[in-house]
Order: sequence, then C-alpha cells, then structure tokens
Amino acid sequence: SQPLAGRQAAELQPKVVPSKQILHSDNMEMEPETMETKSVTDYFSKLHMGSLVYSCTSKRKNK
Amino acid sequence: RMEASCLELALEGERLCKAGDCRAGVSFFEAAVQVGTEDLKTLSAIYSQLGNAYFYLHEYAKALEYHHHDLTLARTIGDLLGEAKASGNLGNTLKVLGNFEEAIVCCQRHLDISRELNDKVGEARALYNLGNVYHSKGKNVASAGTHDPGELPDDVKNALQKAANYYEENLTIVTELGDRAAQGRAFGNLGNTHYLLGNFRSAVLAHEQRLLIAKEFGDRSAERRAYSNLGNAYIFLGEFETASEYYKRTLQLARQLKDRAVEAQACYSLGNTYTLLQDYEKAIDYHLKHLVIAQELNDKIGEGRACWSLGNAYTALGNHDQAMHFAERHLEISREVGDRSGELTARLNLSDLQMVLGLSYSTNNSMMSESHVADNSLHGTRPRAGRRHSMENMELMKLTPEKVQNWN
Repeated sequence: SQPLAGRQAAELQPKVVPSKQILHSDNMEMEPETMETKSVTDYFSKLHMGSLVYSCTSKRKNK
Repeated sequence: RMEASCLELALEGERLCKAGDCRAGVSFFEAAVQVGTEDLKTLSAIYSQLGNAYFYLHEYAKALEYHHHDLTLARTIGDLLGEAKASGNLGNTLKVLGNFEEAIVCCQRHLDISRELNDKVGEARALYNLGNVYHSKGKNVASAGTHDPGELPDDVKNALQKAANYYEENLTIVTELGDRAAQGRAFGNLGNTHYLLGNFRSAVLAHEQRLLIAKEFGDRSAERRAYSNLGNAYIFLGEFETASEYYKRTLQLARQLKDRAVEAQACYSLGNTYTLLQDYEKAIDYHLKHLVIAQELNDKIGEGRACWSLGNAYTALGNHDQAMHFAERHLEISREVGDRSGELTARLNLSDLQMVLGLSYSTNNSMMSESHVADNSLHGTRPRAGRRHSMENMELMKLTPEKVQNWN
C-alpha cells in the first residue's frame, strides 16, 4: 500500500499546479533604449573655433 | 572669455559622461548652463546631454525638463535634425514616465522628420523607439490585469501588434544598413513582444537571432538576456528540459558577470522549471539558492516568493514539517510587505498542511487561530468555501490540451 506521506502529498497535489503567480512572466529582459546624442563639438567648425577645439582637446589628452 | 569657459565646462561634462560618470558630468553641464552662451546650438547640445545624463541616472523628471528645453530651442533656431533628436529623446523619457500617448506623438515626430530629411539611420532609430513605446503601453495595460502571455484584451493585443510591426520595419532598414548591433536590439524586443502575444515559436526564432548577434559582439549581457528570454519561451511551449538548459546558461553568465539579482532570478526560474519537471529535490535546491540571495539583497518580495515555492516543493515531497516552516514564513513576509493575496495563499496552505498533520483548527497556535478569524471575516463562510473561492482568484494557468500531458 501507498505510504502515508505519499498519499498526503497526492492530496495536496493541486497546489503544485503551476499558476501564473508561480510562473512569473514579468521577468522579460528588454534591450536598452537608444537615445539621440548631440555634442558641443558638432558645432565648432561652424563657429570658427577650430583653434579652441584644438587647445581644449590637446589639453585633455595631455592630462 | 565667458564663451570659452562655457565650452570648456561642457566639454568636460561630455568627457565625464563618455567615461561613464554621469553624475560628475551633470555638474559640469549645469555649470556650463550657469555660465551661459549666446550660441544656441551649443546650448541645445548641452541641454540634450543633460537630459540624457539624467535619463541614465533614472531621474526622469529632470530628463524630461532638459529634453523639453532642447526641443524648444531646436524649434526656435529652425534646426530640423536637432528637433528630431530632441523629439526622440523626449519620447523615450515620456515612455518611461508612462505617458504613452505623448510619447507616441514625439517618436512619430522623430520619424516624420527623419523621413523628410531622408535620414535612414534616424528613421530606423525612431521606428525602434516607437516599437518600444507600444510594447511598454501594451505591457502596462496587460500587467494591470492578471493575464498569461497570449491571453490578452484587444487593446493590449493591438498595442503589442503595432510594436511588432515597428520592430519589423526597423529590422528591414537596419539590415539594409548592415547595422548588426541595432538588429540585435530589435530581435530581442521583437522576441519579447511575440512572447507577450503568445507567439512562442516566433519568440524563440527572434531570441535565437539575438543570441547569435550577441555572440558575434562578445556581448555577454545580451547573451545572458537571450538565454533567459529563450528559457521563458520554452516554458510556455511546454519544453521544460530545454528551458532548464537555457536558464542554466543564464545562471552561469550571471555568476560570471557577478550580478546577484540576475543570479537570484535564474535560480528562481530553475526552481520553477524543476517543479514543472516534478524534480522537487532540484527545485528545492534552486529555490534555496534564490532565498539566500533574496535575503542578502534584502528583497522581501523575492524572499516571500521563495518561501512559498519552497513550501509547495516540500509539500510535494511529503516533508510537511519543512513545508509548514516555509508556509509560516511566507505568511509573515506577506503581512510585512502587505501582499494580501500572498497572505491568503499562505493561510490556505497552512490550513491544508495542518489538516494533513491532523491538527485541529482550534489549535492554540496564535498564527493559525488568527488566520481562521480572518478567513471568516473575508468570506463570511467556512474556511473550505473560502479556499475554493481563493483558488479561483489565483486563476490557475489555463492549459491547452496538448500541454496538459506535460504538466501532469
């Protein structure tokens, strides 16, 4: 005959049925957003500030 | 002299943000704004970068403010490309804030201008953003109810279908452009959209593509995401062995990347998968690992879930003492975090376990006598009737006939 513990487990079996509470479907892994970028250096050439750009960037490179 | 100073501050801000220190970058950009400049394009670039920096810092109200300034400025000076970019960024920010309708208007503006300027890269990016807004919109409405993937109200389905269409359109362009990184992103989110729509086979196909591209780039975070998403899709295809293999790879990578939260999630998913495979020893092993990390991260909700899952697994094995221990802990935590449905579930589990253990309801265990009273007050009826009622509320997963054999 079936052992007592086994029978008890069988009686409780319905709770082991997976529910959406157990199987969480909200852990989807999304890809990152893409943001549009602007840069102050984009506009340097138009501002005729080439020498400034050079001095700024070279100063930084030397750091 | 002041002009140069503003530029220098802004350049330092750019450098810091590029180096990944957005917080420090923000201070330099704000200093640059304080100094000011008469060059409106420069100012627009500063606003835009401030907006993005705040976006990455998850300070979305600030991000909204600066992207809005940038949009106004771009319009004022008639910079159409600048306006497109600002609209796109504003759209993304509005999406995160849950303002989907305005987000759609902004992302659509980004798309329209990009098309007007015949800017293919911009067009593709706007399509991706639009897909993301519709995906979030669909998911947001869906999560308000308790739906499984595939069982959705019409408005949710429409939003998700639109998202899928935008991702497909994006994919056509970025494939033409040969932009593999963008393809990877689109495949990932397209896969997740198919998953929510219940198209699990299509989800698998998309995530497999995502995985391929992630490997091409050696992008291990993306690789891990793909494994996890593949695992989720295989669960709903009823292919639990395959799901467990993908979750194991997720776990492996999570450990390599030293991401404890993701490691915990992978253990939890594996615990659930082994429960579905009815291998309760392994399920317990993984749920215990999840429990340890949840405690370490002080994640009460995760801890509660772990206790509930452990209670169920021990019950299935007939180890009622351990089951009781975890059911009690689940009840305590549910109360602590104010999870009413968790609390009810825990009480029902406890009352069932007590019945199995042959204890009467009139036990002097204070927790149980309290729960008895609460059950009566909730339902105005005897606990057994309350039990049936709550099982209905739990909305057990509806299984299609071909899946049932796998679950039993």
